[in-house]
Amino acid sequence: MVTDPVCRMEIEKSDAVATSQYEGKTYYFCHVNCKKAFDADPKKHLKAKDSSKERK
Amino acid sequence: MQAIDPVCLMQVDTETAAGSSEYKGKQYYFCNPGCKRRFDADPERFLSKNEHEAMAGPREQCLPEDDLEKHTGDGRVTLSVGGMSCASCVANIETALKSLDGVAGANVNFALERATVEFDPDRVGLSDFKRAISAAGYDFLGVRDEGTGGTADKERETREREYGRLRREFIFAIIGAALTMAGSFGEMLPGLNLIPRQVMRFILFAIATPVLFVAGRRFFAGAWSAARHGTTDMNTLVAVGTFAAWAYSTVATFFPGIFSGAGFRNDVYFDTAATIVALILMGRLLEARAKGRTSEAIRKLVGLKPKTARIIRDGQEIEAPIEDVLFGDFVVVRPGEKIPVDGVVREGRSSVDESMLSGESIPVEKNPGDQVIGATINKTGSFTFEATKVGKDTALAQIIRLVEEAQESKAPIQRMADKVASYFVPAVITVAIVTAVIWFIFGPAPAATFALLNFVAVLIIACPCALGLATPTAIMVGTGRGAEAGVLIKDAEALETAYRINAVVFDKTGTLTEGRPSVTDILPAEGFSEADLLGFAASVERGSEHPLGEAIVAKAKERGVTLSDASDFEALAGHGVVARLGEKSIVMGNRKLMNDRGVSIESLAARIEALEDEGKTVAFIAADGKLIGAIAAADTIKKSAPDAVRALKAMGIEVAMITGDNERTARAVARKTGIDRAMANVLPGDKAEEVGKLQREGKIVAMVGDGINDAPALAKADVGIAIGSGADVALEASDITLIRDDLMSVVTAIRLSKRTIAIIRQNLFWAFFYNVILIPIAAGALYPFFHILLNPMIAAAAMAISSVSVVSNSLRLRRFELR
Repeated sequence: MVTDPVCRMEIEKSDAVATSQYEGKTYYFCHVNCKKAFDADPKKHLKAKDSSKERK
Repeated sequence: MQAIDPVCLMQVDTETAAGSSEYKGKQYYFCNPGCKRRFDADPERFLSKNEHEAMAGPREQCLPEDDLEKHTGDGRVTLSVGGMSCASCVANIETALKSLDGVAGANVNFALERATVEFDPDRVGLSDFKRAISAAGYDFLGVRDEGTGGTADKERETREREYGRLRREFIFAIIGAALTMAGSFGEMLPGLNLIPRQVMRFILFAIATPVLFVAGRRFFAGAWSAARHGTTDMNTLVAVGTFAAWAYSTVATFFPGIFSGAGFRNDVYFDTAATIVALILMGRLLEARAKGRTSEAIRKLVGLKPKTARIIRDGQEIEAPIEDVLFGDFVVVRPGEKIPVDGVVREGRSSVDESMLSGESIPVEKNPGDQVIGATINKTGSFTFEATKVGKDTALAQIIRLVEEAQESKAPIQRMADKVASYFVPAVITVAIVTAVIWFIFGPAPAATFALLNFVAVLIIACPCALGLATPTAIMVGTGRGAEAGVLIKDAEALETAYRINAVVFDKTGTLTEGRPSVTDILPAEGFSEADLLGFAASVERGSEHPLGEAIVAKAKERGVTLSDASDFEALAGHGVVARLGEKSIVMGNRKLMNDRGVSIESLAARIEALEDEGKTVAFIAADGKLIGAIAAADTIKKSAPDAVRALKAMGIEVAMITGDNERTARAVARKTGIDRAMANVLPGDKAEEVGKLQREGKIVAMVGDGINDAPALAKADVGIAIGSGADVALEASDITLIRDDLMSVVTAIRLSKRTIAIIRQNLFWAFFYNVILIPIAAGALYPFFHILLNPMIAAAAMAISSVSVVSNSLRLRRFELR
């Protein structure tokens, strides 16, 4: 299981439709629009992911 | 775990579900593959439509197919249909489908054994089609997925099995035919002549009967199913013909008294019946083999698809099946490997052989930022690219889909042939009966024998088999050959219109020309060399994104001029740039900038005016306030343009050019390419109107453009030809798409269409001509004058030959020379 950094949905790698490479790490997305949003500003979404973890 | 099928809302176990789909990151499970297919076609529909219903809880069982089908699909589906034997089957199936309420159109391709149906999804669905096809007496073999070539294997398997069956039946029949032949003429053979004639008849009966009803059962089964639905096809002709010969002989064998009592001879024709079955099976066998070859182009394309890819995940290079490559993946390609999917080069450089898609044999240089296309072969270097198109979006998948659609489409010329075929069989049966009656009443003795043999000969000779193959085989081979050469033809109609073209309009920018400027003239002032000037200019423009700047830098690289580092770079919008190069202050730009900075351009004024008259753009370069030269650039004409224009003119086609540029530039390009008619100052929106003007002059117009800006004009033209650059093949507005950026492809496309139409005409001529000439001969029209009759066995052989010759004639297109 991986987490789409944009919509934060948990998906299987095999179910992902797109990926992005950022700082040597591969991110998986559930939708092309998530990838586009991520590529536009990766930092914003990676930060958001951290804060979401804290909330849990 | 339990889940709810989003289509039928039935509760399913995830373990035992018939299928699952992933959509927007969520996994959905289905109770049967039909639900999955409907979901995949349009997931949103089911998710939104059923949301409130899902709240109410799961249902007990899947809804009946009919109710669901009526709400699905995009109104167009391609079905595999089995059991077709000739051209009249095409009309039968089309009629059956079209008679359904809600079906707008049905198109059956005999050579491909497919039916494409256009329908209103709210009123009619797959199950209705299935019922209609079965009711008409044919086999519904399921829905065909387009583009991916996924069902190609299954289809090939079916075809091979069918071929194997056909071959076994043929071998059985030919042995039986040889034995009955030997037995019938046994009196002349030592050994056989010892067997009494009456006993021999029983032996012949014992051999011919299984040949007819086992090896030849397809004819009887086909005829029976056609008869049950009140129609006829070529099976009817073969079945009635051979059955007549067999029945007469059987009666003569078992009840010899009936015929001899009536004054007829007791001859038997078991050899005739068996030989006809054997020969017609042979024709089918040869036809099946040739038909397999017509779709070779598609198989070749599907075979190009690479199986695996090396992708980078979390910095690790892993080898994965091509289906796992996702949009955005970085893919590594080594020398000699196939590029797996479409994308953009990110690191490294190489040269790539794209000949399999474009037909262009010279490898193309690839640098970071360049597009690469899946299925092409990396030659020299290693590189990493980012996948931008995967799965069914890749150029290769699109090409396959386009070619498949083209092969399935029906040329207007064929509709006529189909119509004729549908009246043909009943007409032939009538003619055969009339023939038999006339011979029986007026013919010489033995009247019943003549009546029977001529009846059979007419039925056998008239099979409209060749007619059904004439057009589709040529279209398939023609479009396939085009695809190999980078010429993608949208449908048969485009092919049929293209051969009548008598005017071709080229868009100028990006079509006749490269679409970006390149340096044409370098004018150094006194005391400077061309290299000096270029060095200054390129150093300043390095990193510029202005097209003119890029052209200058490219020229400097080409000449091997060393560049120095510029500082204090400043771009002055609409004027030019200023920068420092070491000690020197450089100003580069247009006439106005020079005026503003007080730089005199007197020394070069006369020569510059001449360049501007040719429609070139001129940049002035000054160092420390003094002019050191000027560089002119212009959009250059593609190398292939003059040749293409010449070739088109040689074909008697008028060539014109259309552009938004001014008269002066337009005329300069027209002169260089040899074009007679230049339409200048045409706004992009008015291009279609200009095409319309030519059409009103009575011309059949082809418009050649880039497919994006020129879409309205391409659509307006009789044939829209989009000239693309490899990756963008899904150009909706165009009838013909040229993968290769080479204008000679326009000539190839028109020549290919002319050749294909010529082959179709030959095929139709021979198919019709053959029937028209041979039916009267078979009926005995020449007998009163020359005593010539057509033996039914010869008729069967001739029939087999005619089908094979039509298919072979189409296959000649495979060797069509492109230049």
